[in-house]
Amino acid sequence: MGYLEGIAISASINIVCICGLVILTGYIGLFSMGHASFMCIGAYAAAILTKYYSFPFIIALLIGGAIAALSSLIIGVPTLRGKMSADCFAIATLGFGEAVRIIMSNISHPYFGGARGMSGIPAYMNLGWALALAFVSIVLTLNYARSQHGKLALAIRDHQDASELIGINIFREKIKCLMYSAFFCGIGGGMMAHYYTYMVPNVFNATISNNLLTSVVLGGVSSVTGPAMGTAILTFLPEVLRFLSNWRLAIYGLVMVLIMRMRPEGLLAHKEIHQPIVQLVRFIRSRTVRSTDSGRG
Amino acid sequence: MAQLELKNLSVHFGGVKAVQNVSLQIEKGEFRGLIGPNGAGKTTVFNAVTGAAQPTQGEIYFEGTKLNGMRPDKIAHMGIARTFQNIRIYPKMTAAENVAIGLESYPSYNAFSAMLRLPHVVRRDKEIKRLSLEYLDRVGILEYKDHEAGALPYGLQRKLEIARAMAGNPKLLFLDEPAAGMNTQEGLEMVTFLKELHSNNTDLTIVLIEHHLEVVMQLCQTINVLNLGSLLAYGTPKEVQCNPDVIKAYLGERRKTYGE
Repeated sequence: MGYLEGIAISASINIVCICGLVILTGYIGLFSMGHASFMCIGAYAAAILTKYYSFPFIIALLIGGAIAALSSLIIGVPTLRGKMSADCFAIATLGFGEAVRIIMSNISHPYFGGARGMSGIPAYMNLGWALALAFVSIVLTLNYARSQHGKLALAIRDHQDASELIGINIFREKIKCLMYSAFFCGIGGGMMAHYYTYMVPNVFNATISNNLLTSVVLGGVSSVTGPAMGTAILTFLPEVLRFLSNWRLAIYGLVMVLIMRMRPEGLLAHKEIHQPIVQLVRFIRSRTVRSTDSGRG
Repeated sequence: MAQLELKNLSVHFGGVKAVQNVSLQIEKGEFRGLIGPNGAGKTTVFNAVTGAAQPTQGEIYFEGTKLNGMRPDKIAHMGIARTFQNIRIYPKMTAAENVAIGLESYPSYNAFSAMLRLPHVVRRDKEIKRLSLEYLDRVGILEYKDHEAGALPYGLQRKLEIARAMAGNPKLLFLDEPAAGMNTQEGLEMVTFLKELHSNNTDLTIVLIEHHLEVVMQLCQTINVLNLGSLLAYGTPKEVQCNPDVIKAYLGERRKTYGE
């Protein structure tokens, strides 16, 4: 049970991070290879607040997310202002991710602990919190995605130049999406810190960033629940395939290649998991309305 | 004062002089045509005014405000809308959502209320939806509101693009070859449609680029002819049609034979 619970908590943490990245990659179409850095910033901020200042868990998480969002301006303003191409943005975030990791390793302040990291972080994280936070993140992101903010992001992804001529402020929308994604990654990082109760900067390496990006691409563009499902699958899959020992990595790769070959826009591109249910409810409702109408007639 | 004024406008791309020393004035409510052979610089004039291309020299004034160096989205919000030579609608969105983008290109509620879906967000979203349908209705494609825009037939995509441009409530509308790729029948339909559009919005200034001469001749009150980046002629459709320079630019010159 403890093992399953552990995987479920990891999956929930990934889902919270993915909720941010969905808006950045799936909606506005910017690829980031360094979002582990925002998890790192959020994790340190939240852990310091709970450990040394005994902040309540949820407040610390939110502040951690906010600090991560603000720190995203450091990379966002110079790269997005000059309409840097999406590829260049990916490289820039890769560099930013490494820089944050190395800076954190070299802060010798006792709160941070340098390369040895932090330990003794209060173990506030449990399955209940994890599932609740994942659920709330998905709901908030679904709301955001269906709002005009989400639609403008999609517009920019499809035709950036035309969108600007229609009147969309490209820089502002992009920065907003980047901050949104950094906020949720910061919260995910805070969750991670309070689950493992210790952390070293090297945990937040490029592999985490790549896994996040993979989940979004696998889950599908312009979908929120697709990538959330994608990251849950990617968290469980290596565990399910564990009996294959080292072959599991090869199979993992094969699964990825097959999915990208068969569904290049991702598993649930432009769709949400709950859509069929909503449609079914609408359909049943329309049938019942019609039958009562005919009954009256 | 003219609504739009170009003063000695030049746009160069490296060594290519796409537009050279063009001066023209467009009055409010006018239906102006901009014609010329391929590569004459018509679209570049549009691009310079809407901020997509930077003028190398000269000034652009819209209602007395200088547009040089202004960000494209700000220019759009001053009341200048346009359509594109090759259609640029959002293919995966529905027709209604496409119009909604033009309607509210700066979101009127902030990101936090959007995440929490507060009551005023729900209200505003409904309002946007209602207004979008109104604009679709105005161009006569209301029945396609829930269709994926990319799957619509070509002519309807053109109309959708015009609806999206109109949703920004522009004072000046640039149409870049709205009848391109259409046969004569469809072209005539477009003429009727644009005529109605102009008569229903008397304050709206429309500038039309078009290759189909019969379209321009039927719609525009006055025409500017561009050739090789410079203004060649200006006048009513009749005057322009008879202008020997224009005929020369379009058809070339009769080869001189020895007898003449």
